[in-house]
Amino acid sequence: MKQNSRRRTLNLNRRAFIKSAAVLGSGLVLGFRLPMALAAKSQDVRNPHGFIRIAPDETIQLLLPSVEMGQGSNTSLPMIIMEELGGDWSRIKVEPAPVADIYKNPWIHVQMTVGSFSVRGWYDELRKVGAAAREMLVQAAAGEWDVSPDECTVNHGVITHNPSGRSTSFGKVAGRAADLPVPQDPPLKSAADFQLIGKPVARTDTPLKVDGSARYGIDTIVPDMLYAAVRACPTFGGTLKSHDDSAARAMPGFRATVPLHNGVAVVATSWWRAKKALEKVKTEFDRGKVAGLDNDKVSTSLRSGFDADGFAVARNDGDAKAALASAERVVEAVYEVPYLAHTCMEPMNCTADVRADHCEVWVSTQAPGPSKEAAARAAGLPSDKVTLHSEFLGGGFGRRGEVDFVEQAVAVSKAVGRPVKLLWSREEDVQHDFYRPAAAIRFRGGIDKDGRVTALDARVVTASAPGFHRPGPPAYTEGIYNTAYTIPNYYVTGLNRDLGIPFGFWRAVNYSHNPYMMEGFIDELAHTLQQDPYHFRRSLLQGDKGRRHLGALDLAAHKAGWDKPLPAGHYRGIAATQAYGSWIANVVEISVKDNAITLHRVVCAIDCGVAVNPDTINAQLEGGMVYGLTAALRGIIHIDNGAVVESNFNDYPVLMLNEMPDVETYVVPSGEHPGGVGEPGTAPIAPALANAVFAATGKRIRTLPLNSHGFSYGAGRKQA
Amino acid sequence: MIELTVNGRKHSLDVEDDTPLLWVLRDELHLTGTKFGCGISLCGACTVHLDGKPVRTCTLPVSAVQGKAVTTIEGLSKDRSHPVQQAWIAEEVPQCGYCQSGMIMAVAALLQDNPAPSDADIDSAVTNICRCGTYNRIRRAVHRAAGKGQA
Repeated sequence: MKQNSRRRTLNLNRRAFIKSAAVLGSGLVLGFRLPMALAAKSQDVRNPHGFIRIAPDETIQLLLPSVEMGQGSNTSLPMIIMEELGGDWSRIKVEPAPVADIYKNPWIHVQMTVGSFSVRGWYDELRKVGAAAREMLVQAAAGEWDVSPDECTVNHGVITHNPSGRSTSFGKVAGRAADLPVPQDPPLKSAADFQLIGKPVARTDTPLKVDGSARYGIDTIVPDMLYAAVRACPTFGGTLKSHDDSAARAMPGFRATVPLHNGVAVVATSWWRAKKALEKVKTEFDRGKVAGLDNDKVSTSLRSGFDADGFAVARNDGDAKAALASAERVVEAVYEVPYLAHTCMEPMNCTADVRADHCEVWVSTQAPGPSKEAAARAAGLPSDKVTLHSEFLGGGFGRRGEVDFVEQAVAVSKAVGRPVKLLWSREEDVQHDFYRPAAAIRFRGGIDKDGRVTALDARVVTASAPGFHRPGPPAYTEGIYNTAYTIPNYYVTGLNRDLGIPFGFWRAVNYSHNPYMMEGFIDELAHTLQQDPYHFRRSLLQGDKGRRHLGALDLAAHKAGWDKPLPAGHYRGIAATQAYGSWIANVVEISVKDNAITLHRVVCAIDCGVAVNPDTINAQLEGGMVYGLTAALRGIIHIDNGAVVESNFNDYPVLMLNEMPDVETYVVPSGEHPGGVGEPGTAPIAPALANAVFAATGKRIRTLPLNSHGFSYGAGRKQA
Repeated sequence: MIELTVNGRKHSLDVEDDTPLLWVLRDELHLTGTKFGCGISLCGACTVHLDGKPVRTCTLPVSAVQGKAVTTIEGLSKDRSHPVQQAWIAEEVPQCGYCQSGMIMAVAALLQDNPAPSDADIDSAVTNICRCGTYNRIRRAVHRAAGKGQA
């Protein structure tokens, strides 16, 4: 992991700081830009790009390269900058950055907020940005006083020359600072001096989210705007054959029908009118090549993949085949998970205003960069003619990494020549998602005569496609090939089967299902060996490779009181994994009566390296757990005749407040580079719960959701 | 013409009778704090107060609201000073925040009726959906708000 983060960390020496001084209404401001790629434009003082702008009124405006979807980056990224800058936290104003190369995440080289990459991807770079700005401000002040910068200190935006007691402020010297050369390698604070990082800091977006003033994409209002509702072909891959809107034309507020390649949009003077008119449009579709697909066929296709050719090898230590052949005992198990929808609370939407020579887009998106490109393509304009406004996201979870709804809005606005707010119904959202792919794994574990695990052979088959994943070991084997378990003969292979159902990133992605299967199988090995599941796992975690996994596992087990007796009828389950540069463990405590599961307690521990904002981490672990718990208990998307059966929260139910268990979260103290926290929380809950169900009932749950095995659920909160 | 009072202001609106109140608030009056989540009165993102009682507006025809007083999140307080808003800030409840207008309106109505709700009362009154998983913080915030200025 360490090596991984080193490799991706940018070297500031190789990337010149570029500064610009700009006049922006309130006066001189200080801005920074990092990459060499923009050096040629550095003389353009009007260029508003940068991360920090300090105005004479002491306002510190921070342009944030990640979007805020609830994960807290509108607070944690400012904390990283401000820690080094030393400014007055109460003076910051945050806003989403526009689309530009400098805002591409340094670890993934794209302007997207995905993969729990915000803090870990920006940590080094934003510290340097803040430190460089502080150094320039101090130099400016020292220059004014004709003293050495070394004699000056910074505290909450006030620069003090200690020997003389003179002081000034950031705003007063910002203009002068903007003329100074940008330090190439500013010294960074030592962790012991951190004043913000590691402290719970109140979120910058909370006030806006308690009075209705936070603006999401769906809240966009543009003068002269029309509204669009959409119906896509229910069957994936289907196309629009014909449509008849004669009845719709008589509906109030109707303005236009816009045929799309796979559906139809109706434009009207309000969204409700558009929706009502759309109901009157008759459509005929070519249903496409997956029209016969259903869940049984998905399952059969995945499982038949176990013996197919063409596997990619993700890991091959020793000789698993030989070790299995000579094993005293071989344990075999097949696990499988279904497709899942995201159901962000804010249904998909985008507002577009396409003119002959320009296109403006307002959207809640995790992918500002790709969305801008998609808008340009749909508008038939070069991308420099597109302006994209990022709004707050009413949930992302990976769904808003896609650009399909952006393309639709741009196409419809272009067709009608007016600004259009295009909004999906919840039914469209559930039935036209990019689903968490269905997946299956066949495990074989070999145990020798001394009771040691000598071999693991895991074959992963997912309903995705190679293009979904980056190069290297197939990402769909994450959580299997890269565990910290010491098993001498370790063989992991994987295969994609693209079944024609759209698939995409779903919170924790491959870690949303692989740890469930892996940790279930590890539990099966422990059971076969009649060993305690926690202590068995410990025995497989050896040396430095297992250190952080063990740290999270031990902390969760300790806090849960693993070795202490339980109330009668209570049982525990445990699971741990790495995910997104962090290590995370869950211990759950349940009871089961008449197949009704009561979840009394969830204990979660994480080693996420430097914990930037502990309160956000707590919230993300709890929230990630809820997302995974919903999926484990009842999450399933059924495919029938190539279309999705579920349509709304009535038939795709999610966890409610009265079902919420008590959750405790703990963070392993760590000085390692920050890891992700938005997604890891989703990973270990399903296996911990399924393992607890096994402990309670003897039933090994190898497919999800739990309710398909006849289990119902209730929370176990102590009633006040 | 439909007459209704929203946050103390009277409006005469030329909309179809069957238009859900939600879309009148959002698309006609541009009060966008009230959210669309499901369209079938399940998720509660569209909750407002109608004559002081919580209602889900995505299926409530505006004709049924004729002459009544509607309070939306924008009208709950002028300055985030309502005890529920204050408790939401103190407990750092919101994540994405999209469901929170509806949550806050549901809880404000609950506390009006029941100034010191038990966990069971909260369970049965707050049936809104949050996908970010803020439920435990919501519960804490309800208890906090109940302890302040409601006794």
